[in-house]
Amino acid sequence: MCHRSVGLVQGAVEAAGISTASVALRPEITLGTKVPRAAYLRFPLGNPFGEPNEPAQHHRILEDLLVLLETATEPTVIELPYRWRRWGKWL
Amino acid sequence: MESTVLDPEDFRAQYEKWVQFVAANHHGQNNRVNEEPAFTPLQKPLAEARVALLTSAGVHLSDQEPFHTATIAGDATYRVIPNDVDFSAVRFAHTHYDTSSAEQDLNVVLPITRLAELVERGRVGAASPIHIGMMGFNPDPSAIADTTGPAVAAALTDADVDVAIFAPG
Repeated sequence: MCHRSVGLVQGAVEAAGISTASVALRPEITLGTKVPRAAYLRFPLGNPFGEPNEPAQHHRILEDLLVLLETATEPTVIELPYRWRRWGKWL
Repeated sequence: MESTVLDPEDFRAQYEKWVQFVAANHHGQNNRVNEEPAFTPLQKPLAEARVALLTSAGVHLSDQEPFHTATIAGDATYRVIPNDVDFSAVRFAHTHYDTSSAEQDLNVVLPITRLAELVERGRVGAASPIHIGMMGFNPDPSAIADTTGPAVAAALTDADVDVAIFAPG
């Protein structure tokens, strides 16, 4: 339900003239709610930017969202290729 | 490996199943979607943009009222989290995900430190003075769609935000 709540607020913020992008951990809900931009990650709920105290991982995901903001020309949901593993092997 | 673009049609059956699940198990018959999805192209380069963050992971401050988690009605309210927040004052009120990662490092759900680093590097122009905390468990999303969404949009507009990054709890 988090994904629908986030998606509905995201839609309202985007409609107000602010460009938005979101992380999606349940892609069917994000896609069904119809958001402008999102990136699906196969990470567990509670970890949208990855593992605690792993700044490089957080930055990688944020950078993917920033690139999505720079490149998407229509509503776009992408899947990022990362998988949930112990740090050192996640890429 | 590269990123791939997802086709909503591939997920439609799974989505409909989830909508039915929420209706049957959480008294959430009033599903909502963004009927006419807006799309706002970047209005300026990211290096000049002011960026806000939003999390639905139940983030609130110790001196703010916690979100209501012990209710089937959910909680559609939101909390303003200042960019210069003292991390030790952050609390997590949410019973529908494992908060242990977030409790170890707020950046896992609300990457305020990472945003400061992006500003320092010049990748984005500035951090918004405010970010938004919500609690995502809302079986009936009517209040989220009709009240919270427009209120958050107004708060971020007032803060001169250009770009907002959202993450589910």
